[in-house]
Amino acid sequence: MAMEITQADQGGIPALSVSGRIDSTTAGSLQERLSELVRAGSRGLIVDLKQVAYVSSAGFRALLIAAQLGESSRCTLVLCGIAGEVRRMFEMGAFDQVFTILATREECAAHLAGTTAA
Amino acid sequence: MRKPPSLVYGVDERPPRSVTVLSGFQHAALISVNLIYPVIIFRVAGVSPASVAALLSIGFLVLGIATFLQANSRAGSGYMCPATFTATYLAPSILAAKAGGLPLVLGMTAFAGLVEGLVAPALHRLRAFVPVELSGLVILLIGFTAGLVAVRTMLGDMGHPPDADEWLAACIALAATVLLNIWGRGLARMVCALIGMAVGYVFAALTGVLTAEDFAAIAGASWLAFPALHIPSWSFDFGLAAAFAIAALAAAMKALGTLTVCQRTNDADWVRPDQARNFRGVVADSAGTILSAGLGGVGINTSTPSVGLASATGVASRTIAYATGAIFLGLALTPKIAAVLAVMPRPVMAATLLFSACFIVINGLQVVTSRLLDSRRTLVIGMGLLAGAAVEAVPAIAAGATEGTRAVLGSSLVFGTVVAFLLNLAFRLGVRQRVTLAIDPAAYDPAQVEGFLRKQGGMWGARADVVNRAIFGASQLVEAAIEHGQAEGGLELEASFDEFNLEIRLRYRGAALAFPLARPTIAQIQEDDGARQLAGFLLRRNADRIRAEQNGAQAMVWFHFDH
Repeated sequence: MAMEITQADQGGIPALSVSGRIDSTTAGSLQERLSELVRAGSRGLIVDLKQVAYVSSAGFRALLIAAQLGESSRCTLVLCGIAGEVRRMFEMGAFDQVFTILATREECAAHLAGTTAA
Repeated sequence: MRKPPSLVYGVDERPPRSVTVLSGFQHAALISVNLIYPVIIFRVAGVSPASVAALLSIGFLVLGIATFLQANSRAGSGYMCPATFTATYLAPSILAAKAGGLPLVLGMTAFAGLVEGLVAPALHRLRAFVPVELSGLVILLIGFTAGLVAVRTMLGDMGHPPDADEWLAACIALAATVLLNIWGRGLARMVCALIGMAVGYVFAALTGVLTAEDFAAIAGASWLAFPALHIPSWSFDFGLAAAFAIAALAAAMKALGTLTVCQRTNDADWVRPDQARNFRGVVADSAGTILSAGLGGVGINTSTPSVGLASATGVASRTIAYATGAIFLGLALTPKIAAVLAVMPRPVMAATLLFSACFIVINGLQVVTSRLLDSRRTLVIGMGLLAGAAVEAVPAIAAGATEGTRAVLGSSLVFGTVVAFLLNLAFRLGVRQRVTLAIDPAAYDPAQVEGFLRKQGGMWGARADVVNRAIFGASQLVEAAIEHGQAEGGLELEASFDEFNLEIRLRYRGAALAFPLARPTIAQIQEDDGARQLAGFLLRRNADRIRAEQNGAQAMVWFHFDH
């Protein structure tokens, strides 16, 4: 199952919905897409991983690099929809303590609205 | 053994007296619901209400002694794992009660206790022939037959058809139990079945379902007296041996599971069951059943709800088990309580049993579906379940059985289990325990690895959670070997399974991967080599054991998953 990315607007914030596998063959294009949005000047970025079945070390690395790039550009990366095996992978690598992870896109948008207002 | 943070009083700790007494009463109340099983069996056996009361007093005595035995570290497991009467022996005991009255129930119960004790040392090895999904089917059939006993109890299997008041009493008792179970909190929720029974009793008393004769029996019972101990007569029927042997095996497996929960509750670093303690625990459980049969009672088992309660409250000290045992001994000296239980109205029995049966059925289903089930295993479980249902739905099957086949065809539990057991043996033929997959790095498709392991997991009946871990490990490993191990030529992925272990080996020409103990820092992960280091760390965390070898140009990585 290849990776697919679709973009939507969640309360004025770009929300990427990722599906499939984020591995060494697909992580590059996800990182590129995230970097483009950060460079475009967005104040926040939502990544919905509800449809993702597998994240490898290359996938985590891509998300980390995008989050670091966002931090230096004052763009906060927030993840949502993480459940089942993918949640186990995040917990196994202690990435649940590195990223801001919320349940839904709505919660992410509310969180980012609060962060940018402050 | 390191105490988990959620545990307030571990097995070796001594809680304050107030906590000990209150917890003891909570466990005794929780377990008392299961007194319904001996009441039903004694009634079917045609025992008079006065004798049922006397036998229930002895039942309390047995529960007290068995709970002490299990809590003792030398005689039993040493855990807070009280004894209870159980649905496991209900269906076979009813068959025995109908065929030969109380002596046959007691003789066959003693036989079951003996079988449980004999299989105790071999339980670990039996897993290959009685896989988890088959144990789940046995639990499912026990729940199914218990539910049918509830329906038959209500519909007049034990006398005249129910009148309007009895229907209402059953509905009220069931409604009270269900309402408290779903919307109740704390202690009320935990003892919802006991409260539901009390509500049913009150309604039965107000509407005349409990007769003047019943009230006279209660009034005539004294508040304090020693149980009337005597040596009961036993009899044995070869035709029922299979039913009781299967129930004994189910009781042994349930005891094993309950004791394992005790170990996990008490040890934050728990990895695998303590075989020696489990063995002593199952033997103590079997001794309790033999003692029960010797004194005039029915089969007992470890109380899973009680162990669940200990885990939920964080009070798992064995002192609580001694307190619970002492309360049972106290109840054995109180014939008045036994007399109240002995006249239990059938709507109360039916409602309580129906409620319990629902949970046993679902518990069985959960155990069955915890394994990946391919077509073979689906057929094993499906055929077994339908065979059991057929015995109950088509009485002609049992009625038409010859003397030689009655032992199997006369019981839904036995017929369903035997059909599933034989099919499981037959379907094991041709299933290889070691399989390999050749991977071409130039045309690597991740779905290939996932499909391969999922299909094999289904054929082996492996646990879904362990197979998921193996899929992640194998996918990440192949990806890392191709990306960072510079694998040249083909890779060979090997998977092997033997019910206790799932092992994955990957062989390739290239550099062996390293598996760091600590996660690389965020800065390190972002460097060029970050993904490789992170892959190694994730792979180490994912498997129970991991090893890498480099032999010349050949690399091999081995994962082990406890199963």
